[in-house]
Amino acid sequence: MVDRVVGTVVLLLTLGYAWEASRMQVGFLSDPLGPRPFPYLIAALLGLSAFWLLFRPDPNPTWPPRSAWRSFALVLLSLVAYAYLVVPLGFILTTTLEMALLSYLFGARFWPGLGGALAFTLVVYFLFTEGLGVSLPVGRVFG
Amino acid sequence: MDILQALWNGFGVAFQPLNLLLVVLGCLVGTLIGVLPGLGPISGVALLVPLTFALKMPPESALILLAGIYYGAMYGGSTTSILLNIPGETASVVTAIDGHKLTQKGQAGPALAVAAWGSFIAGTLSVVGLMTLGPLLAQWAIRFGPAEYFALMVFGFSTLSALAGKNLAKALIATGFGLMLATVGQDPQSGISRYTFGFLELEDGIDFLVVAIGLFAVSEVLVLLEEKTPGAVRAQVGRIYLSLKDFFLSLGTILRSSVLGFLIGVLPGAGASIASFVAYTTEKRLLGAKARFGEGDLRGVAAPESANNAAAGGAMIPLLTLGLPGSGTTAIMLGALMSLGVTPGPQMFEKHPEVVWGLIASMYVGNAVLLMLNLPLVGLFVRLLAVPTWFLLPAVVAISFIGVYAVNNNPFDLLLMAFFGLVGYLMRKLDFPLAPVLLGLVLGYLMEINLRRAMTISNGDLGYLFSSPIATLLWVLAAVSLLSPVLIARFRKQGLGQESEI
Repeated sequence: MVDRVVGTVVLLLTLGYAWEASRMQVGFLSDPLGPRPFPYLIAALLGLSAFWLLFRPDPNPTWPPRSAWRSFALVLLSLVAYAYLVVPLGFILTTTLEMALLSYLFGARFWPGLGGALAFTLVVYFLFTEGLGVSLPVGRVFG
Repeated sequence: MDILQALWNGFGVAFQPLNLLLVVLGCLVGTLIGVLPGLGPISGVALLVPLTFALKMPPESALILLAGIYYGAMYGGSTTSILLNIPGETASVVTAIDGHKLTQKGQAGPALAVAAWGSFIAGTLSVVGLMTLGPLLAQWAIRFGPAEYFALMVFGFSTLSALAGKNLAKALIATGFGLMLATVGQDPQSGISRYTFGFLELEDGIDFLVVAIGLFAVSEVLVLLEEKTPGAVRAQVGRIYLSLKDFFLSLGTILRSSVLGFLIGVLPGAGASIASFVAYTTEKRLLGAKARFGEGDLRGVAAPESANNAAAGGAMIPLLTLGLPGSGTTAIMLGALMSLGVTPGPQMFEKHPEVVWGLIASMYVGNAVLLMLNLPLVGLFVRLLAVPTWFLLPAVVAISFIGVYAVNNNPFDLLLMAFFGLVGYLMRKLDFPLAPVLLGLVLGYLMEINLRRAMTISNGDLGYLFSSPIATLLWVLAAVSLLSPVLIARFRKQGLGQESEI
């Protein structure tokens, strides 16, 4: 049943993808094939496979219990928040918080979780910025 | 004796202090990744690529490091399979069958030793194979035009799709999804933007590292969050030794599995996991009543461990000579090399001999390093398993952040990573193979460019794609490999039907 849903989603995605290809404006300075046919080819492959999946779905997988979904939602939201906050708040603060959150979800106690997160973040931050010359955001709040 | 001269120059590259250090580092990191469950070679390689960019390594050094991680992980994976019945990565799943039985019987030492020696012999043999077959294949492939390349990539995708998962439709959807991602960004020939939806960040396309880290590393963390893995574990390792009698008993198995694993590794799509499985079942059938596979036979450890190391070496052949990676890990190596300005392919043997031969020579060194590292240090590696999950997995995520951010210095990529983490989790749950997505993304650009070049040459005549004998052969092979799982399933069904009648 889930596979039928996935098949439908892929089919819709494919239709959108092909429609977007058809709207591409091509100048006269292009090769004989142009930018459209390769996407059409991919759309054909995906469309046929999705149809196949609709007719021959696998049995449903076993989904995790509700409590796990709550942690998933939390992890994904925190990853999105991380992407928005890492530049303004800086790598050290955001990464420590993210790591601490994940540690608790994996069953750490409060102080060891926070301590481990802070220690590891500091070590990799200085290793990568000072040692290896990778630039990581310092944070506008502090800089 | 061109090969020997080239190899000599290769050793000159491999023995430069930086490269020697990188071989050892790669082997060490690889072994760690192999030992730690939940962190596969793909994630490991993907997480270290940004490091090679940041340090502005020359391409040969980067490849030496990444390859070291790849075959190092094959070594490390056996350790936890044997001691704890927890395979460190998928290529060591069958090793657990006999390996763990041996541990229960108090024979962990010989099991670990035979895995190490088997890996060493197989690894070394596969480098010999790579060294002799690689240049031949490259000489043959140097005449490939765009039509042959396009057909070659279709062949690569169809074997990967046929072998990658249980459900062909799902493997094809994964491939198509990867190709779809490859078309995002500015079209190199007409200059128009495709599928960017106004996001400036997408103009240069979606970076393969962001997808790889999201799809493999982040989704793995989500899977482990659900499984509530057992916490830290401790294992006892006795003295690691192998009696001469046991060594010679296993030698036949090691040699046969090496050849088998190497050949399977060369085939695009069939990686180390399939090689280890095929080698185990082949030896089981071949030895029959002479061995007691499944009850704790040393040869049941030797077969898969030799095969997966030989496959890792074999997998370098299509990557280096054709520019056609056969697995997720080699796809990342291809992407990394292209970012460093080297496009793998037949010309690489002439244009960048230091990359090819430096890698080959470093693999000889690496296999010896692994043997020396592993036999005395297994106990130390196993102690790493005492690191609690609640620290290890968040640490993987933190490294992922650095890896993804370092690619473009753009937080937008972190959003993409989270998105691909979710997609990867759902794909794992629903039995979609992940490697084809990566392969599609890395090869999609080259595939389209070759198709369009071919059409420019022929002025739009599709027949040109089938015009040469090599191209036609590749098309036929592609069709056969795509149909093979359907045919095999049908034969199997008939066979089972007859059995149930009896």
